[in-house]
Amino acid sequence: MKPRPVEPPRWADQLLETFLSPHLLEDAQGDLHEVFYKRVSEVGLAKARREYGWAVLTYLNPYFFKTFRHSAGKPATSHYTTYPQPSLFHSAMVRNYLKIAWRNIANNKSFSAINILGLALGMACSLLILLWIQNEFRVDAYNANGPQLYNVMERQFFDGKVEAGSGTPGLLPDELKKEFPEIAYAAGISWEQERTFSVGDKLNKEKGRWAGADWFKMYSIPLLAGTAETALNAPTNIAISQKLAQNYFGSPQAAMGKSIRIGNKDDYQVSAVFDIPPTSSVTYDYLLTWKDMLNHNEWLKDWGTSATQTRIQLVVDRNGVMDDPARVEAKIKSLMKKHNPDMAKRGSDIQLFLQPYQEAYLYSNFKNGYQDGGRIEYVRLFGIVAVFILLIACINFMNLATARSVKRAREVGVRKVVGAGRGWLIGQFIGEAMVLTSIALLIALGTVWLLLPTFNSLTDKHITYQFTDATFWAILVGMTLLTGLIAGSYPALFLSSLNPIRVLKGTIRFSSGARFFRQGLVVFQFALSMLLIIGTIIVYRQINFIQTKNLGFDREGMLYVSSEGELETKYDTFKEELLQMPGIQAVTKMDGTPTNGFGSTSNVQWPGKNPKASIQFQFSKVGYDFTKTLNVKVTGRDFSKDFGADSTNYLINETAARRIGYKDPIGKPLTLWGKTGTIVGVLADYHQSSMHTAIEPFIAKLGEGQIIIVRVQPGQTKQALTSLETLARQMNPKFPFRYRFADEAFQTLYRSETLVGTLANYFAFLAIFISCLGLFGLAAFMAEQRTKEIGVRKVLGASVASIIALLSQDFIKLVLVAILISSPVAWYAMRQWLQEYAYKIDLDWWVFALAGLLAIGIALLTISFQSIKAALMNPVTSLRSE
Amino acid sequence: MRRAFLGEFEEIVLLVVAACSEEAYGVNIWEEVQKQTGRSITMSAVHATLYRLEEKGYLESSMGGATAERGGRRKRFFTLTALGVRALNDIQEMRNRLWEAIPPGKFQLIGG
Repeated sequence: MKPRPVEPPRWADQLLETFLSPHLLEDAQGDLHEVFYKRVSEVGLAKARREYGWAVLTYLNPYFFKTFRHSAGKPATSHYTTYPQPSLFHSAMVRNYLKIAWRNIANNKSFSAINILGLALGMACSLLILLWIQNEFRVDAYNANGPQLYNVMERQFFDGKVEAGSGTPGLLPDELKKEFPEIAYAAGISWEQERTFSVGDKLNKEKGRWAGADWFKMYSIPLLAGTAETALNAPTNIAISQKLAQNYFGSPQAAMGKSIRIGNKDDYQVSAVFDIPPTSSVTYDYLLTWKDMLNHNEWLKDWGTSATQTRIQLVVDRNGVMDDPARVEAKIKSLMKKHNPDMAKRGSDIQLFLQPYQEAYLYSNFKNGYQDGGRIEYVRLFGIVAVFILLIACINFMNLATARSVKRAREVGVRKVVGAGRGWLIGQFIGEAMVLTSIALLIALGTVWLLLPTFNSLTDKHITYQFTDATFWAILVGMTLLTGLIAGSYPALFLSSLNPIRVLKGTIRFSSGARFFRQGLVVFQFALSMLLIIGTIIVYRQINFIQTKNLGFDREGMLYVSSEGELETKYDTFKEELLQMPGIQAVTKMDGTPTNGFGSTSNVQWPGKNPKASIQFQFSKVGYDFTKTLNVKVTGRDFSKDFGADSTNYLINETAARRIGYKDPIGKPLTLWGKTGTIVGVLADYHQSSMHTAIEPFIAKLGEGQIIIVRVQPGQTKQALTSLETLARQMNPKFPFRYRFADEAFQTLYRSETLVGTLANYFAFLAIFISCLGLFGLAAFMAEQRTKEIGVRKVLGASVASIIALLSQDFIKLVLVAILISSPVAWYAMRQWLQEYAYKIDLDWWVFALAGLLAIGIALLTISFQSIKAALMNPVTSLRSE
Repeated sequence: MRRAFLGEFEEIVLLVVAACSEEAYGVNIWEEVQKQTGRSITMSAVHATLYRLEEKGYLESSMGGATAERGGRRKRFFTLTALGVRALNDIQEMRNRLWEAIPPGKFQLIGG
């Protein structure tokens, strides 16, 4: 350590120079220094410095401050040459500002309540949205080596189209790791599958996936037992979640090495217990090994089938520098060509590309093969909504404050006369706005705290107040400052600009500019509300359209039961017996479900097929009575036991028939995966997936399926369920009985739409409510201002109705202008949103008319209270006070 | 003119300035006050009192006598004004009057 210079502590001197009155500084500081050097020789440097610092602190006394107004009557001989300048932030003034602010709040309780309530609601809303957005950005951001993680995806060029997909061949991860030294780790991850676990006599269904051996090495998922190295290396290993370890074995440690029987067939040994972070977008309660998946699913070894996902981690060199992902991407791009040599012949191509793992959650949509938005659009949308709502609340404040400025004008005049500068007045009014905003923030925090549990269950999140998180505080402080500043800005600028002479003479007239601005604010506010209302109606109608649209099959009264255990091996007996029981109309089975397709393939041939064309077909294996169970119209016939050779025959849908180009497809040959058969029936088109995508060509072949589909006799759901449960328990005691309604499964396709719809609903309601609060306040003010006028009018014979009309028309005009402005904007925005759907509603004009009427109606209702009150008032009372 | 009002500490500071044989400024006044009262007093308290006495017109000041250890900063030398002298005299007179008014033998009775 280098020796300290023999001088007083610098911080102390700086402090002294900052706050001490300049005319006192020289001698006081000189005296302090003199004492300091004396003390250095007496008690040593360290102690002298401490004493100096302490002595300086004792000067922290208002008497010495720059801002202190030293008492009048200084002697003529005084040498105090520089007079201290009084400042805005002098304690006496601040006290006065606070007192006046408080009196204003207390004396106008209704206005203050409207202001604070509006601000609080707006802030609560924005806070909720901001917390949600913050949480969205945290999803998948938990990985220590996040920037090195990438998803490998396929870009398929076929049929003149480009499509991107996350599905890749099951052998790809190992191949990538072997071939490219730039790739440190590679792991596949499969779709989610529900399987039956049994440990001792405990029996339950669990959801999980298969994953590559590198999985836990790549992702920072805490392991409570086991190591990332060994978790998924042996084929019969299984990694389970903390929850499962708790349920089956009591604790993570107890679970290690224990055996779990899955599907009453295969035994697996617990090799790790993980605790998956709540911000992970991929969820699973167990992970089986990749080897196990390939052993059980021979078809996944085919390089032409893309059913699983591939994740990689790039190598980082000693300096922590990663290879340019674009370079890696270029290297792996044409890997698929090597393994699918006949691809080029068919005129198609599959290229691999990378997507940063952390982006995958928010940027999940691909259009024509390239990234095109995704969840981030909802994040942006709600971000905009948050700003809108806060803005509406701020406008309330601005409007009420300026409208009431007549009452404050005198105060401003007096302050100006006794020497207040414009800057001070601006500071004062913005400060007042800040005080109100801070009160509102406290209310908002309380409200949000109460709402969070409901909001979390609605959005499927785990949002809490993070008091230890700097971002959280930044959001709070930022929001308060911004709101206070915006809300206080116009009143502050407007009031501080008043001319004191005219104000004090009492001839205050507001310029038409100020009135125009205020009206502009109301128009803006209502235009925003209208936008939200129209948006809500259209989103709601589209969701309704999706959910009630005829899918081409009857999804009411249809049940899914997974085919496992005895139900799988003795399916025929099960089906026969079930059909004898009450409530059951038809039974079939299929791979995947009607609304959640099983997979797609381009390996379909037929005579006369253009060798260059490559068409993707959805395919599935189905059981007998497929059309009868789904209630799908079929031309030709369904698969039937009466025809022995049906195992090589095919059912196709109308779209497929069109794509193949057969005039009369029935009886024509078709080859799927090299097996030639004939087409026995054409299914009427039905929707195999959500309304975002158009109906695709579909081929069904006879075979085993994982899902048993049961058609219930209309109106006998209860009996059917009893029948099903009794039989399933009796035949298949080793497996828990679970079923799902086709209807519910269908709804889950639209979870994010439904969520957006619900939230938009709430927010639109809040927006209009806050706007109306403001309108209510303004109307009250206007009615008060025009009390005399109304009195005179009534004396001269005006009717109550005419006075209500008089008071209402001003506001209605504003709302009408707002409707005119917002309708085209809303039309454009909603058309953009609907573009995402292959099947959508029309933007009818009546939606806009309805929203307009709604806005006018609500506005009228809001002001009616005030206008009727004013109109009914006895003119004698209103005129007497003169 | 109004009666001089001086607080106890103000009076001590004023007396120290009056009693000072050399030119009185912050540091030597501070040291002298501590020595006379036997109390530990902060310099800021002395400064505040000096400035206040000047505002009240009992003291006047002039700048001068910069030294190296003061970093070239001047001292503020304080001298009594006529008003200050009169204030001290007033107080002294009042005290004398009161002392003389104490009945003889009273202190012995109390045991002082």
